[in-house]
This record gives sequence, structure tokens and C-alpha cells, in this order.
Amino acid sequence: MKQRSFSPIAEGPIPLMAPAAVFLAVFFLVPLAYVGWMSISQPVVGLQNFGRLLHSSLFASVLYQTFRTAFLVTALALLFAYPLAYAAANGSKRFATFLLTVVALSFWTSYLVRTYAWMVILGNQGPVTALLSWLGFDPAPKLLFTTFSATLAMTHALIPFMTMSLYSVMKRIDPLYVRAAESLGASPRRAFLTVYLPLSAPGIVNGCTLVFISCLGFYVMPVLLGSPRDQMIAGIIGDQIEQTLDFGLGSAISIVLLGLTLAVYALYNRFFGLDRLWAGGDR
Amino acid sequence: MNPFVRALALLIAFFVAAPMFIVIPMSFSSAASLTFPPPGYTLANYINFFSDPNWTEPLINSVIIGLGTVLVTLCLAIPASFALVRHIFFGRGLFNLLIMLPMIVPTIVMALGYYMYFGQLRLVQSYLGVVLAHSCIAMPMATLILTAALKGFDRSVERAAMNLGASPFTTFRLVTFPILRPAFTVAGLFAFIASFDEAVIALFISGRDRATLPRQMFNAVRQEADPTISAASSFLFLLVLAGVCVWLAPQFVRRRSGTTRQPLENGATNTAAAAS
Repeated sequence: MKQRSFSPIAEGPIPLMAPAAVFLAVFFLVPLAYVGWMSISQPVVGLQNFGRLLHSSLFASVLYQTFRTAFLVTALALLFAYPLAYAAANGSKRFATFLLTVVALSFWTSYLVRTYAWMVILGNQGPVTALLSWLGFDPAPKLLFTTFSATLAMTHALIPFMTMSLYSVMKRIDPLYVRAAESLGASPRRAFLTVYLPLSAPGIVNGCTLVFISCLGFYVMPVLLGSPRDQMIAGIIGDQIEQTLDFGLGSAISIVLLGLTLAVYALYNRFFGLDRLWAGGDR
Repeated sequence: MNPFVRALALLIAFFVAAPMFIVIPMSFSSAASLTFPPPGYTLANYINFFSDPNWTEPLINSVIIGLGTVLVTLCLAIPASFALVRHIFFGRGLFNLLIMLPMIVPTIVMALGYYMYFGQLRLVQSYLGVVLAHSCIAMPMATLILTAALKGFDRSVERAAMNLGASPFTTFRLVTFPILRPAFTVAGLFAFIASFDEAVIALFISGRDRATLPRQMFNAVRQEADPTISAASSFLFLLVLAGVCVWLAPQFVRRRSGTTRQPLENGATNTAAAAS
């Protein structure tokens, strides 16, 4: 007789996984595949949509703008998040709780709320412009609806992701290593650079990957705060839906964005393994 | 710790927190434009937010769609997590990838896909369409939370119940479910927030009839004409502020009594880093 399984609801995994698998196939994979199909069939079957992108100098500058912003935001977010995560992982418990609360507050606040806040702060009648005029800039430089405002807002929005990735790795670094280096004669600077920094590298890689990918496909902030002339790739996909109604071209641009995103994931997977990315550096 | 690092961390924490607090004074501003500091103070924005159908309807729609998303997501993600943690089967890796895929594919790509696909199925401008799309988006987070909790579940309590004569269903109802209820609650909460905060897909498929709050806010920010957005922003921010305080309070109490945090909370905060 076959040994009885102790699975409590149903025998075997198929009835458990089938609903989710069918649901995602019908309501996720099919619409995704539909984008792929539209990109090569609208208005006629063929690769002409991709050809148009390949020969478009506008699309080239959009790609350039997207990558430049993504790299800049990733670097800035790392620069801001690293000291924050370091202090949270190595400071007193009270200080750590305070810092992590601030990060959580930002993490859970809607992008639209933060976008609105930046419009007030950087607007023509806002505090930063007032400060600049008071300092003698006349006329005060235009801050809102520029690449600067979009980059600043995106960096601010993604710092929590970066901090959490760094913190989850840093809190597992044994402080004895750094103390050992220092007792062996290394200066605090050297102990940090040769011991702590390399040990925190998995958190840096995870955080940068997540932030970079989020940046590539960011829609809300670049569209609402950025310069209409220097759009990013997600913004021009939105334009195809709202304005030009060119679904073939919009789908082709979407496929390019998807391909770029998957390439970053594949690169990460090749060197580190995807399951680590979402486990926040666990295992 | 080095006092310089401490000061730097405080400065960065100020940069992270301060910009969001500006929405609170703005919400009481009497000016129609984005003037800061406000020239005068009034409650008009809040009165408008809670009485103008242009704002109350999206708020109600968002709650309805959020609750629908919680229901669909949990019904699918709970069994899926049991399959992933308790069984080894052909195609398990592929199934796991399928569940994580909505977190990988950029939302704007899916917004275009849903716009065209649901347009054909006549699901644009309906509750159902947005709930179906948001359930896909909420699935990865919910599954990550549930599988993390399930991995730490001691199955010998189930075996004990069955040894004592409980049927599999009774075992689930009286043993498995009560133990995992906190994880189900957290997963449901994440699903609700994923839907309630989602702006891009809702922007393109909810339409004017079933507009969600993020869609209404997006349009208000874009048009810069309706100062009610300040009350909406402040309302959402205060909700988060209250939520963070509620989440912190038991931690302080527990620290005083000397017990450690529960493993589930750790799992949830870890996986929260991956939400997008």
C-alpha cells in the first residue's frame, strides 16, 4: 500500500498550484504576450516598428536619458543610503529604530504624495525658489519640470529600497571583524575600506540592481516632475497610449524596455542567483 | 559610533522625512496655487475631499478595488504557497518564476498590455478589470510573505492533530489556520496597499467611471488646478504616519518587557525591501 501523505488540504501539489498558475497565465502572460504580438503585427506583420525605433534619433536620446538618469539615481541613492544603513546597523538600538522608522515612513508613502510634495518644494512659489532669490539669484533658476527635479524626486523615492537592502546585509556583519582589524593596527578608515565595505558588498549589489531596474521603468515621477523635452522610456510608452494611439510603436518600445529590464535581471542571476535578490541577501 | 557618521545619518534622515511633511501645512492652505508658506489657513480642502464626488468616488472605488484584490490574491496565493513550500513537483521552479514575474515586468508595459487586452474583453472601466490586474501585481509580495511564514511552520503539530483523529480539513481549520493567521493578515495587508497605491495601471484602465484615488491624484497633479490634492496627500500621509506608529508601539512595549521580535515580523520587513 502507498504511504499516506500528510498534506492537510489536498493530495498533491496540482490542485494547490493550478488556480494561481491558470490565473496568472490568463491575466498576466496573455496580456504580456499581446504586447509582443502587437509590436510585430501593428499596423502590418513585420519588424517595421523596431526598424522605426532603430532609425529614430528621438528614441536614441530617450534611451540615453533613461540610462543616464538610472545610473545617476542609483549612485545618488547609494551615496545617501549607505551612511543611513550603516548608522542603523551599528548605532544604538534607539537610534536604529528612529532611522528605520524614518525609512519606513518614506517607504509606505505613496509616490503621488511625494510627487505633490516636491511640486510644492521646488515650485515657483515654493521655499527653495524663495531661498534662492533671497541669496541673490535673479531670476531664480527654474527647478520644476527639469531633469534635476525628476532625478531628485526619484532618488528620494528609492532611498528606502536601497537602505533596506544594505541594512539587511549590514546587520549580519559581525562587528568583531572590524575590531580585529583595528587591534591588528589598521586605522578606522582602513578597517572600514578593507573589511567592512567588502562584507557589505552583497547589499550594495542587491540595492543597486533593485533601484536601477525600478528607475528604468519609472513612470509617475519623470512624467509629472521631469522635463517634457527629456522624457524617459516609460513616459513615451504612456504618450503612445494617451496621445498618438500608435499601439504598434508603443508595444515595440515596451518590448525594448522589457528586454533591458530582463537583461539586468539575467546579469544579476548569472553572477548571484535571483532568489537572493528578493530574500534581501538572506542565505 | 563616530559622531560624524551619526550627524551625517541624521542629516540624511532629515532629507528623507522632511519633504513629505510639507503636505500637512499645505492641506490647510487657503491659496489655490502651490504657495508655500500658505498665505492663510482654511479647512476647505478637507471639506472638498470628503464631499466632492470627484474625490469621494475615487476613494470609495480604491477601497472596493483594494478589498477585491485582497480576496483574489489570498485565494490564489495561499494554496500556491503550500504547494511551493510543502511539495517538490515537476515545473516548481517555473511556477515560482511565473508568480514572481509581475514584480519583474515594468508596470507601464503591463498597463499597455491591459489597456489593449481588457479593451478587447470589455473589462476597461470596470472594477473587475482593475481587480484582476492588481491581483497579479500583488501576488509576488503575498507569496513571498506566505512562503517565508510557511517555511518556519512546525508540521509536527498537524501530524499530532491527525494522529488524534482529526480530518485534514479539521486540522487546517483548528491548527494550521490559527497558527498562520498573522501571516495571512500581513499578506492581505500588503495586497491591499499594493492595489490602493498602484497608479500606473489604474491610470490607463480604470477610466473616468471607475477612477481610483491614485488616478484622480495623478490628474490633479498634472493639471495643477484642484487644490483638493493637498488634502488627499495629507490624508494618505497621515494614514501612513498612524500605521507606522501603531506598528512601532508594540515594539517599544515588548522591548521593555524584554522579549524579542517575532520571526514573522522579521520576514515581513525583509521581504518588504523587495516590493516595487
